[in-house]
Amino acid sequence: MLETNNKKIKAIALDTGGTMTDSFIIDEKGAFSVGKAMTTPEEESEGILNSIADSLGQWNTILEDSGKSVEALVYSGTAMLNKLLERKGNSNIGVIVNAGFEDTHRLGRALQCWMWLDYSGRLHAREHEHPEPLIPRKQFKGVRGRINFWGEELIPLYRDETTKAVEELLDMGVESICVCLLCSYMNPRHEKQVARIAKKVMKKKNKDIPIILSCEHNPVRGETPRLNSLIIEQYAAEPSREQMIRISERLKEKGVGALLRILTSYGGTISPYHKSLITTMVSGPIGGMIGTKFLAELYGIKNLVSSDVGGTSFDVGLTMEKYVPTKWESSLGRFILNIPMIALDSIGAGTGMYVRYNKISGRLEFGPESAGYLIGVCNEKSGVETVTMTDCSLILGYLNPDYFLGGKVPLNKDRAYKYIKEQLANPLNTDPYRTARGALDLIEINMKNHLNGMIQGLGFRPENYTLISFGGAGPLHVAGYTKDLKFENILIPEWAAAFSAFGCACAEHSYRHEKSVDLIITPDGKMDDAVCMMLNATWSQLKKDISNEFKKEGRDPNEMEFRPSLRIQYLGILDDLEVQSPFENVKIEDLNVLTNKYNDLFEEIFRRGSKSPELGYHITKAVGTGVVPVPKPTLPEHELKSEKPSEEASKGSRDLFWGGGWHEGLLWEMGLLNAGNIVDGPAVIEAPATTLLVPPGFRVKLDKHRIFHMEV
Amino acid sequence: MLKKPIGWDGKTLMEMLNESEKFIKETKHYYGIDKLALKEKDPFNYERAYASLRGALVSSRETALHISASPIVKEIGELCFALYTPEGDSIVVSTGILVHVHTMSEAIKFMIRENYEDDPGINPGEVFLNNDPQEGNVHTTDVQTIIPIFWRDELIGWAGGVTHQIDAGGITPGHDLVAAVSRFDDGAYYTCRKIGSNDKIWKDHMINAKRAVRTPMYWELDEKCRLAGDLMIRDALFDFIEREGIDYYKRFIREAIEEGRRIVQERVKERLIPGRYRAASFFDVPFKEEAWQPRAKMDKITNEPIEIIVKEDGTLFLTFDGASGPGPNPMNCGIGAMEGGQWVLLTQILIYGDKVNDGAYFAVEKEYPKGTWCNPGDPYLSYQSPWGNLIPAYTGMMKAISYGLFSRGYREEVVPGYGFTGDAIQGGGIYSSGPLKGERWMLSTFEISGQGLGASAVKDGLDWGYAMWNPESDLGDVETWELFQGGIPYLARKIKPNTAGHGKYRGGANYAGIAMIAYSKDVDFFGAREGLVFHGAGGMHGGYPHATGYRLYAKNTNMKEIIENQKEYPLWDPDPEHGEFEKLLKGEIVRKAHCSIYPVLLENYDLVHFAMSGGPGYGDPLERKLELIKKDLDDGIYSNDKILSIYGVVANYDEIKGEWIIDEKATETRKNELRNERKEKSLPFNEYWENEKKKITEDKLSEPVKRMYSESLNLSIKWAKEFREFWKFPEDFQMEVK
Repeated sequence: MLETNNKKIKAIALDTGGTMTDSFIIDEKGAFSVGKAMTTPEEESEGILNSIADSLGQWNTILEDSGKSVEALVYSGTAMLNKLLERKGNSNIGVIVNAGFEDTHRLGRALQCWMWLDYSGRLHAREHEHPEPLIPRKQFKGVRGRINFWGEELIPLYRDETTKAVEELLDMGVESICVCLLCSYMNPRHEKQVARIAKKVMKKKNKDIPIILSCEHNPVRGETPRLNSLIIEQYAAEPSREQMIRISERLKEKGVGALLRILTSYGGTISPYHKSLITTMVSGPIGGMIGTKFLAELYGIKNLVSSDVGGTSFDVGLTMEKYVPTKWESSLGRFILNIPMIALDSIGAGTGMYVRYNKISGRLEFGPESAGYLIGVCNEKSGVETVTMTDCSLILGYLNPDYFLGGKVPLNKDRAYKYIKEQLANPLNTDPYRTARGALDLIEINMKNHLNGMIQGLGFRPENYTLISFGGAGPLHVAGYTKDLKFENILIPEWAAAFSAFGCACAEHSYRHEKSVDLIITPDGKMDDAVCMMLNATWSQLKKDISNEFKKEGRDPNEMEFRPSLRIQYLGILDDLEVQSPFENVKIEDLNVLTNKYNDLFEEIFRRGSKSPELGYHITKAVGTGVVPVPKPTLPEHELKSEKPSEEASKGSRDLFWGGGWHEGLLWEMGLLNAGNIVDGPAVIEAPATTLLVPPGFRVKLDKHRIFHMEV
Repeated sequence: MLKKPIGWDGKTLMEMLNESEKFIKETKHYYGIDKLALKEKDPFNYERAYASLRGALVSSRETALHISASPIVKEIGELCFALYTPEGDSIVVSTGILVHVHTMSEAIKFMIRENYEDDPGINPGEVFLNNDPQEGNVHTTDVQTIIPIFWRDELIGWAGGVTHQIDAGGITPGHDLVAAVSRFDDGAYYTCRKIGSNDKIWKDHMINAKRAVRTPMYWELDEKCRLAGDLMIRDALFDFIEREGIDYYKRFIREAIEEGRRIVQERVKERLIPGRYRAASFFDVPFKEEAWQPRAKMDKITNEPIEIIVKEDGTLFLTFDGASGPGPNPMNCGIGAMEGGQWVLLTQILIYGDKVNDGAYFAVEKEYPKGTWCNPGDPYLSYQSPWGNLIPAYTGMMKAISYGLFSRGYREEVVPGYGFTGDAIQGGGIYSSGPLKGERWMLSTFEISGQGLGASAVKDGLDWGYAMWNPESDLGDVETWELFQGGIPYLARKIKPNTAGHGKYRGGANYAGIAMIAYSKDVDFFGAREGLVFHGAGGMHGGYPHATGYRLYAKNTNMKEIIENQKEYPLWDPDPEHGEFEKLLKGEIVRKAHCSIYPVLLENYDLVHFAMSGGPGYGDPLERKLELIKKDLDDGIYSNDKILSIYGVVANYDEIKGEWIIDEKATETRKNELRNERKEKSLPFNEYWENEKKKITEDKLSEPVKRMYSESLNLSIKWAKEFREFWKFPEDFQMEVK
């Protein structure tokens, strides 16, 4: 393959997990290769360079030779999240809050005790548990003073108490001070006063540590999530900043031309120099959503639902009318935050999930734990002794025991059969194959409920949606979890296993800032003037802030496209929706354009809920997103060949269990199928990283972008 | 012409209900089903069917939450949905405030028994509303929307949704009133009333309902939300039937309930030991001083003894035999409330699997003695705050079952009880300045859903995170609550020391808030919580009960001056004996040992304090590990004096480190002292018994205690006999009350 030596790389997407670092590299023709290396937590750039080397090795090239042409360089990783989960962050943080609210972080919100549990865990009171606070209680100092909910000063800030609080924190040797006062999102005055006093005290004490204000970091209502976000930023995200910068620099040294961007929870990418990195902490499943949006645009699909089946979880996200909804209430390591996040929902239903028989209920039960990368009892060396979903798929003939991860892990079918028989089939008094299929059915119906719940929860029916399935195990289960749902179309990209990484490379370079505003549009319109003024002023401020962020990284802010939007609800209800504004400068006569957009969106999303425009509207937040252009990968077009696959792709046949009986299934090598080929079920299409199951009655067609379309 | 019956196979709903009840009585199986044929034939399809129905319920609730309005419903999730059989038995339920699942069942049965089928008629697309505590509800502020679901011309089920309202138009603002003494004080009553057709709510009803309450906007939005959820359930059910067929559905729902019943039986067999379990609990109604109405001026203690018999076949029998009488106060309970409370607790401690339905109801045989507070049988009493009696009463059930769990070795499952969901402060006022001038605000925080849970036999209880009526409890954010009650801004929300019940494993701890009246006029303020009695017979195996509540507020304060001069104002009340209010404020400081008060009028700059409940402890405090005690001190869970007097631990505060250091040697000495004190204080049982009996014979009991026992003696022959025998009193013994 010497001819590939003069490869020109267009995009590199990096995904640093707890154990492995994946790199996904795309060349100028749209071809891609995937590399893997061990993660090196102490110095992440090592693992990253190794992973890139592994990937480029498949093309017989090295970064120094082919990296200059890189235009998109995107990082996502779990390092910051792991710092939080393993409680290995920097807890040497001082916090100043209103006096009387020193325990806000410790009290948390009771929902942090149960929101991570499944249905039965939520019922079972004994399982509820608060997350352990991140900072010792003594590092929280209260200062008297209060701003009220509409932003007026109720009690002036007590200056002497503030001085004392700062002095005490400095004497403790804290490395930064977070300030989070009630209602500062409406009026930042007290927080700014605290900052000024702190600076004076620091000067006197000859110290200089960062003072971070919640009104600047995240001026959004909800003191618990706002404070949590502030603390976690300092505890887990900030300590990783240097690592990010080092990765960027080392890649630059190797001649990579593009700037390193980090993927955020809202789907954009930001530079490692951005003032806040907390939005980059939950980027795991986000890549898949960006990839989904990319395909939605490419294929002109309005409503696309993404479904990602991994070893431990099943993630579902929606794009509606080509728009990816965001939610701003999210959680990390059981702490609620108020960072914007692509609306994704996960359930614990991955292929590594354990299947057990419960003798009390006489039923099969699943999870919640998972064998993860240990696969199942079929992986003899793993020491796993409990049957997993993968074991079930194996004995049913869906998986090739000699071709799992390209044959790197041999699977023992007899062992899987024996365990399924003993642990599940015998107690249920049924046959092991039926049992295995039944177990998969139950898990797949859970997935189906989850999918359907999300779609119907928004007032749609699956008929309005195209589904895309990815993740290593998506293609294996997609027929099962979409059965009976009548999706408009089902897409399965050939590169399903690397689809998330592909999505990362498609991400925009954007900053999203938001601010709570609480503006009321009354039915008689008497406050419209003030509403427009405040809204425009807030957008203008957000735009300025974002321009500065781009300036900081050396981009020309004139290149930036500014997308103003707002979050709005009927007055009195508590759940807002995000509406894109066609105006940066809204006039009184334009307000109804925005409210009409909201009415339409509300009706579309909550078909069953009556609109209540007679109550008036409440604009809760102004949101601004600044986007600068970055190159994105393109999908190559392949010439369409015959419908009949070539002999070369055929791998013989294997018996498959489906619908209560055995069927002879034809086997195909995925990489050798041609665009235009049609495969009728029963069949299995195998690739090293994934397996596509085409059950009897199903058929798949490979299109010009090498994406399978599944039909029933 | 006679109308065609809407039940199955040409039967009326009443015939179906009678048949169902006959079956359960005669066969002990739901609908006489002794074999789960569908499950046995194809267990996987059966489970799939169940999962898809439950999935539909959960997602209907999620969606309805988005379109609902009242802060209680959205912020705290005070909403739940269930699907019922034609006879009104729940098949599958959503998450949320599960206490209501069985209540709606009673409402449906009421409509069937009253022959609604004939008059006012039950037709497709119609909507029924209920909030009558006598007929399957808890109190008037819980509002249920129930719709019948038809397949062709048969009624195949009901969908029901319930939300908790901020206000139902009672004698004072609020959702758990204190000042109601009769039905006519409870607010708007809708006794299973038809309020709509063609999937729409009638306009005349909506106009009426909105005028009947103080928060018309929330009422309307919540009505829309419940109906939307019900309709989504109906859609999902139609999908189900199209997929599985109507015959499968009909058989399936009965098997699912029978299976639910069996699951309880199996779980009981697995977790408990057959026998008779008993626990005591009480609630105080201190209205001699508080009440406005002459006939309500009476101090009462409610007797709430519970007895559970675990039978060998795994079924349970539960009785409140010995309960005292109802009263001219809002704490009386209808059967719906009793069933709801029991059901929700069973799902939290025993049957928390994903297959939860009215099977659990059928697995427990129960007795709510007539004429007592838990079954007064009088629709004209007030039932506005049944929680007052209900919450303490069922702590006894937790404790009784915990003895069973402990005996069987499930130490980690033990729960000796939980905190009362209070202090439920309420009231409201009118803005007198600011952008909302002239608008009404309501004090209605639902942070009461974050209380302390009892310790288990292996670890401490859950702090600030449990509500017996909603497994998905939450406190909400102050910044959110203030949007709705901005006339009473918070000055503090801080961990309150010494709320947690002491023990080797301590109960859950909690916090207290301080708030100040501002920008307002005409402010009513009241609250409710136990104050003079412990409930749940507190603690287990040597653990202590959690601290009781009390009332503290300040009127005509000098807060304005304090603020202007940047002087200290109170942020907490860590030691009620040396109060911060008294130390820092000038004005009228009201401190009462009882916690439930009638509304008082407050003015700007008045201050209120409200403390949430801890949970009871487990085991002897002397056995608590020293490192846990250090953490308790550092986290402000206990004060140093309590650590010294109860745990026998000597600790000193290290100013430089900013933490507590335990003096292990001094601790050993102190613990020995405590052990010796205990020895000195202890008595042989007979002596103790004699001393206690003397309190009765020498007339040393307080009036409320005597009244309580007098009522119990007169309401139950069985209980009276046991009481007299225990104390060796003559057969005609009575407790004399003036």
